[in-house]
Amino acid sequence: MAREVISSGNDLAAIAAVDAGCMFFGGYPITPSSEVMHTISDLLPKVGGVCIQMEDEIAGICAAIGASMSGVRAMTATSGPGMSLKAENLGLAQMAEVPLVVVDVMRGGPSTGLPTRVSQGDVSQAKNPSHGDYKSITLCAGNLDECYTEVIRAFNLADRFMQPVIVLLDETIGHMHAKAVLPDLEEVKAGIKPRKTFEGPAEEYRPYGVAQDEPAVLNPMFKGYRYHFTGLHHDAMGFPTEEIETCRKLIDRLFRKVDEHKDELESNEEFMLDDAEILIIGYGSASLAVKEAIIRLRDEGIKAGMFRPITLWPSPEERLYELGQKFDKVLSVELNQGQYLEEIQRAMGRKDIQKLTKTNGRPFSPQDIIDKVKEVF
Amino acid sequence: MSLMKAPENTPVWTDESRCKACDICVAVCPAGVLAMRYEPHSVLGAMITVEAPELCIGCNDCELTCPDFAIFVADRKEYKFAKLTDAAKERAEKIKQNNYMTLSAS
Amino acid sequence: MAFNYDEYLRLDKMPTLWCWGCGDGVILKAFIRAIDKLGISKDDVCVVSGIGCSGRFSSYVDFNTVHTTHGRTVAYATGIKLANPDKHVICVAGDGDALAIGGNHTIHGCRRNIDITMIVINNFIYGLTNSQTSPTTPRGYWSVTMKQGNIDPTFDGCELAIASGASFVAREKVTEPKKLEKVFVKALQHKGFAYLDILSNCHINLGRKNKMASAMDNLDWIDEITMPKKKYDALSEEEKLNKLPTGILKEDTEAEEYCDMYGKLQEVYQGKREKFTPADFKKVI
Repeated sequence: MAREVISSGNDLAAIAAVDAGCMFFGGYPITPSSEVMHTISDLLPKVGGVCIQMEDEIAGICAAIGASMSGVRAMTATSGPGMSLKAENLGLAQMAEVPLVVVDVMRGGPSTGLPTRVSQGDVSQAKNPSHGDYKSITLCAGNLDECYTEVIRAFNLADRFMQPVIVLLDETIGHMHAKAVLPDLEEVKAGIKPRKTFEGPAEEYRPYGVAQDEPAVLNPMFKGYRYHFTGLHHDAMGFPTEEIETCRKLIDRLFRKVDEHKDELESNEEFMLDDAEILIIGYGSASLAVKEAIIRLRDEGIKAGMFRPITLWPSPEERLYELGQKFDKVLSVELNQGQYLEEIQRAMGRKDIQKLTKTNGRPFSPQDIIDKVKEVF
Repeated sequence: MSLMKAPENTPVWTDESRCKACDICVAVCPAGVLAMRYEPHSVLGAMITVEAPELCIGCNDCELTCPDFAIFVADRKEYKFAKLTDAAKERAEKIKQNNYMTLSAS
Repeated sequence: MAFNYDEYLRLDKMPTLWCWGCGDGVILKAFIRAIDKLGISKDDVCVVSGIGCSGRFSSYVDFNTVHTTHGRTVAYATGIKLANPDKHVICVAGDGDALAIGGNHTIHGCRRNIDITMIVINNFIYGLTNSQTSPTTPRGYWSVTMKQGNIDPTFDGCELAIASGASFVAREKVTEPKKLEKVFVKALQHKGFAYLDILSNCHINLGRKNKMASAMDNLDWIDEITMPKKKYDALSEEEKLNKLPTGILKEDTEAEEYCDMYGKLQEVYQGKREKFTPADFKKVI
């Protein structure tokens, strides 16, 4: 039975984590994400889990990665400045293939920026928070319900692909307090897909010795399967190596394990696109204003429609290309200086995409979008 | 207690594949049991040698100070170690003065 | 029969990549002996190491091992321990890893008094990256970033640990391996944060340009600058300036351990216990 609740985006993210079987949260207070930690600090100990406010952002993610290495589902939550601090260790989790859910409630940036105001300024960062080569998986909640469902999906994807999954909220959605409709709890529990484990004899276990399009198989600690985690390039047992072929294949696999299974990751919403003549691309809380704008534009006879990527990275490049072929008039709407616009242009192979940007910490009103559509088309 | 079988009737023995010729065991041996021999194909051109096992008093200092798990001492219950003599102490001192190298002709 | 170290070593990784005579190997040996003495199963141990020569420690032991980013061993270990409170979690970090970049995490691990044994391999220099100054490099000594003599003041990790709230603090050195093994046994048995300052020799980096280029010279220097705590306490303030006390410097078996406290917090949420108030604690402020 679907559940109707009145809650906020941040609270729903916390509730979703616990429903998804998360047993560890390591974090640090940062506006506008702190409520995720406040709420989960009450939910986790009740079910025998642990929530710890660490001494800084870096310690927050390190504790979560440590817990995940040991075998439990773990999460951290932060905002832009915290993502910057966590970057190095996000890289370790990518390299060592440790599942983790990272909730980033975006605020005005750069630097201290506008702590209590909205932006979508961490989108580029989410694609490459850390140095080196790896594939980011980034989801973006576009409404209150998705603050719950995308976090559930993030935990399953993190275990499926054995790496961090970033869930972007923004301050508007994180703090939005309204009605949400959540899926049936039994369904959620039934849909939990934990990470794969190796059941054979310990001598035959090769945690990182997997096929080139597969993630590592990392057994929980303390169960008789002893191996090594490191951020260095490593061999099948996890030990450091500089061997030419091993290193080449490792990075190749970190890409292929995601690239060759994009169908499992892609998730988009297409709103009134069938008969549309103008394509508007938006995500996160901006998409709510876009939808309202589209409804009002249609009242005036202007046929607009929206494409909303929910999985931002890897991007839905094939679908974007198709849409770029179909639609002459394309407008990208985002609360930053055009971070996803770059990807849209790349995927569509076009330089003539119109853009509506805003970086002063204020949300879009539907009128902003209506005015822009009339201005450019 | 994790134990391994020791060679028969031997107070101290080495694993030459692991020795890095750091000289520490020779330096700490009070009884002149150990010395480094010249070994051109090995690390630093030297290799550990148990030259005078009969002088070994079983103090275990060599085993405990070896960073490379390259030297081992028998259990007191299985081997009758010697007592420390002045002659042994003198020999140890001479080897130290000789930069830990063997006193026999090089 | 003799002690079988091979049982605890990842044999295909031998010989170690540490330089000839490096104290890291002596510490590794004493640690193995301590684990064996306590009869701890290999599956119940997790060793978390940082970046540096000491960081390679974790790849040599056949336990659950983690090689983390620079300075973060205590943070990772905190997560591992809280998720598995009945297991043995040991941090191994160098003086730079633990006291420079990782200083904050060391402080808070001590503050929480979480049941982790932290082995700080203090060789007074950054070894792996070739001789940069560390927070413990002696003043006036040569380092590659202070070639005209180190002006940076030094830092006593044990005093930091005591001030931060660690309930077991000790300093030993690689020239006394029997004492080293004993302190590891004590620290592993101690319930709470155990900070161990283990003085080691880096004759290749610190020693070479500071008149102690051989392992024995560097080891002799370590003996010269240390003395047992009892003897140290009797010195004048001036005499104390250039000596480091060895032995157990603090041992508090009554201090509350963090996992225990969190377990009690879980009971509060599960309705089995009243919530915490200031009256539950001796030291409130």
